[in-house]
Amino acid sequence: MRNLIVIPAYNEEEALPQTVGRLQRLPIGFEVMIVNDGSKDRTKEIANGLIANSRLPLYVAHLPVNCGIGVAVQTGYRFAAADGGYRYVIQFDADGQHDADFIAGLVEQCERDGLDLCVGSRFLEDFGPGSRSTFSRRIGIRFFAWLIGAMSGTTVTDPTSGFRCLGPSAWKRFADSYPEDYPEPESLFWCARNKLRVGELPVRMFERQGGVSSIRKMKAAFYMLKVSLAIVFDRIRRTEVSLPAPQPIA
Amino acid sequence: MINAEFLMLLGGSGAFLMTLYWVRVRELRERYAITWLAVATLLFLTGLFPDALKYVARQAHLSDPALVLFLALAAIYTNSFFVSVTLTKHYRWNVRLTQQMALLEERLRRLEDRKASGEP
Repeated sequence: MRNLIVIPAYNEEEALPQTVGRLQRLPIGFEVMIVNDGSKDRTKEIANGLIANSRLPLYVAHLPVNCGIGVAVQTGYRFAAADGGYRYVIQFDADGQHDADFIAGLVEQCERDGLDLCVGSRFLEDFGPGSRSTFSRRIGIRFFAWLIGAMSGTTVTDPTSGFRCLGPSAWKRFADSYPEDYPEPESLFWCARNKLRVGELPVRMFERQGGVSSIRKMKAAFYMLKVSLAIVFDRIRRTEVSLPAPQPIA
Repeated sequence: MINAEFLMLLGGSGAFLMTLYWVRVRELRERYAITWLAVATLLFLTGLFPDALKYVARQAHLSDPALVLFLALAAIYTNSFFVSVTLTKHYRWNVRLTQQMALLEERLRRLEDRKASGEP
């Protein structure tokens, strides 16, 4: 069984080598795809340099301009769809916040419970200080958890987590259509609303090792409004009974 | 003497000619030109038959300037809305092309690596 780890990277020259280094402990069967989202620093050169030294198969796609996290992650899903041989696709941050030791657990939980989406949650277990984000962010996260629960009936604790494992029903659909900005809560809601099986696994997260967050203070209000509206808009869409097949490119 | 009717005639003729010019030099697609030709025609006809505008204003219980303002705002709103729709569509196409290009570049890199290492 082959699984693909998608790492969206924007200006992550500092953290990327360490992040990819930590993934090398994973067993055979895992493959890695870095999607360089039009970085302005040396992320492109560094990512290319990592290919030769990676024990796991490593692919690198360079988006020529910065398109946003959603487009970067979707590029990974499209790569998986074009290949056709992957079972699970795991989204993993380039900034070193995610712990590679939990990847196998996410996949196992998907397999064991038949999940289409398993989200790594910071809030199911306490892994110590610094692992649960800032106070203001926690308020935002709780609000989205409440909104998603109220509109879909699905209970989640960490809807903004970008550490997640997707089964074929989810990632094949997302290869065709995926939210562009701040996609995690929206995509989670889409899965819940369309009766895909969603679960969570407690994971440890670290402080970011480098780069800058895609959600800065100035954007926080816009982020809350945009994602809330997107969820409400998605609620009034029809349930997708049959999932569209992604277009192969290779 | 310059009056509102004359200005509308002039504006309508100008808009008509400008639209035709931009279509002729292929800077404006025919499908978008249709809307602008309709606006130009409306301006032109209003300049030619100002009583028609006054009749509509009376029927709508509006003063002439208020009706003109309302029609202008409606035209601006409609056009801006469809520009937004078109921009969204073009954004999606751009994203798809960008992704496709990045993925094909990666595929090419792998093929070149394979060729360089002598693999079949």
